[in-house]
Amino acid sequence: MLLVLGVSFLVIILGTTTAWIVSNYSFIGKSTFEWALILPLSIPPYILAYTFTGLFDPFGDANNLMRTLFNLQENSVIFPNVRNIYGAIIVFSFTLYPYVYLVSRTSFINQSASMKEAGRILGLNEFQVFYKLALPLIRPAAIGGLMLVIMETLSDFGAVDHFAIQTFTTGIFRTWYGLYDFQTAMQLASLLLLTIGIFYMVERKSRGGKIYTSNNSTFSPILEKNLRGWKALIAFIVCFVPIFIGFILPIIELCIWTYEVNLEFFNYKFLINSLNTFTLSITAGVICAALALLINFSIRFKPGLLVKKFSALLSIGYAVPGLILAVGMVQLLVYLDTLVLSTFNLVLTGSLFGLLLAYIIKTYALANSSIESAYERISYSLDDSSQLLGSTSWNLLGKVHIPLLKTGILTSVLLVMSDVVKELPATLILRPFNFETLAVSAYIYASEERMLQAAAPAVVIVLVGLIPIIFLSKMIRSSGPVEKGE
Amino acid sequence: MSNFILEIKGLSHSYNKDDLSLDNIDLNILSGEKVAILGPSGCGKSTLLRLIAGLEKPKNGSIKINGQEVSRKKILVPPEKRNVGLVVQEKALFPHLKVNENIGFGIRKRREKDKIISGLLDLFKITNLENKYPHEISGGEQQRVALARSLAPNPQLLMLDEPFNALDKDLKDILYKEVSEVFLKRGSTILLVTHDSIEAEIMTNRQIRMDKGQFL
Repeated sequence: MLLVLGVSFLVIILGTTTAWIVSNYSFIGKSTFEWALILPLSIPPYILAYTFTGLFDPFGDANNLMRTLFNLQENSVIFPNVRNIYGAIIVFSFTLYPYVYLVSRTSFINQSASMKEAGRILGLNEFQVFYKLALPLIRPAAIGGLMLVIMETLSDFGAVDHFAIQTFTTGIFRTWYGLYDFQTAMQLASLLLLTIGIFYMVERKSRGGKIYTSNNSTFSPILEKNLRGWKALIAFIVCFVPIFIGFILPIIELCIWTYEVNLEFFNYKFLINSLNTFTLSITAGVICAALALLINFSIRFKPGLLVKKFSALLSIGYAVPGLILAVGMVQLLVYLDTLVLSTFNLVLTGSLFGLLLAYIIKTYALANSSIESAYERISYSLDDSSQLLGSTSWNLLGKVHIPLLKTGILTSVLLVMSDVVKELPATLILRPFNFETLAVSAYIYASEERMLQAAAPAVVIVLVGLIPIIFLSKMIRSSGPVEKGE
Repeated sequence: MSNFILEIKGLSHSYNKDDLSLDNIDLNILSGEKVAILGPSGCGKSTLLRLIAGLEKPKNGSIKINGQEVSRKKILVPPEKRNVGLVVQEKALFPHLKVNENIGFGIRKRREKDKIISGLLDLFKITNLENKYPHEISGGEQQRVALARSLAPNPQLLMLDEPFNALDKDLKDILYKEVSEVFLKRGSTILLVTHDSIEAEIMTNRQIRMDKGQFL
């Protein structure tokens, strides 16, 4: 609970403050910060945790650098120990704050300038307009982003395990793999799911009947204020620090590790793990995109409640922590193996089928959202014309929709791939015996404190994680009803 | 000290280097006076209100409110310290606050807050709406709330930027009468900008014509 509270507090401050600054002010670097502030999303919390310990442990690179720079004694330690709850709060906050930043920025740029001006005229200064008016108005969006952060924090396994912090996920994992007590693990998993459900309900209830958007027909876009001197410097620092801690610092550390191992990590094991990861992620990506395409096509062609409900149900999977999904999946696979396929002797349990199924459930929502939004841009008149020209439904899909949806389909495959590459707890539990992915290999190296060897898989995970970030950055650069002002 | 609530001398403003949106404007308004600035769209009348409110920076000239210099070279008093009110066509009601909370938003005297709110609800005949949110009331009612909110902090000067533009004719006629009575009762100093000469005639006792950033 302390972890969730600490992370929530910090991400709300980081996410909303940076979003407010980049959407309301103009200063040096502002256009870069607008998209760069989401870069930390490409670093999974467990990789930031590994690099943090590599940097800030008593004999880590940061302490070593300080000792060399200031000619200090060998046992002197400058940076505090990060292997504790406070270190974990920092790790989660600086990798997950972009969830709050993204939604807050969108909400801030959609707030009418006249509403803020009304606040100023009614006696609020610029800071009061932020926390008394603009912040309450974006509350639903910010809480929505915060819910994602809380879910990610609660469902993380790699970072908390590395920092040896007792949480639901480490409890579930140890109960299962240490004590072999499947029942207790299931109970803990249910409790975790219940906790997430409670957070969700509380958020819904707290919104009440309030409306947070103005229904005025006219909208006056934000007038960006130019900042100069010390005000511009403060804005620059506030935006730079989260990127430095959440992205630049871990990248520097990973580069140091890569340099120190002298590219020796390009061995047979690394290549096999990369191939495993690539095969799994592309298979999951293609299946998810195909499924989302078919479901969205059915909804468009013959709207039916059943398909819509099925799609909505599958989309919920994104909110379920990987560990819980894995626990549930094992239960399902064991059931199928023992009751339905008993003659084949555990053919599904511990197979790639279970792992792929878990990935599909976990990432379908990502594929669906990009295909759904791509579909919204295709006019229904094209469908009508195509049908009037004698096309069958499959012709319509193959000859009209798919060519027009190419970018959306590709985006959905890439989004799923990048999420699958990062996924750790579900892979750890559901993978076949002796089958490793890059995430698993990074986890195993890090748990054995072989950080230099963990660099190679970590670098690849970060690089793949950058793919959706590039897409998002492009969207950010082209968004926002903002006008330049004084 | 002069009896002017507003004194503007040689005020100029431009949104870009080439064109002046306001060109050498002089204007004095007495306490309790009701003045209208009439002109077509884009003539600079809304910009003038934004400059008086402190939402824009002038290029040249000075603005005094109740004798205090609020805008001159190197002096720019922020909007929250000018004690003026501004009602715009957009209304800009805070959607997450109820009607009474919207009206009470700018009141700093906590002890008198409830009294002021109920007085204004009564004055604008919207007592029944106090616990409703802006989206639950009609356009005319929203405009009444916006006017009540702007009067709540008791501004020295209330500026109205085409406040009734989005309303239908019948509702406008009712509001002209009602709102004028309220202003008269309170002795408010009003600066209205509009392109509607009938609205200007009914609501004010002095009209100034404006075109291309200059008074005619």
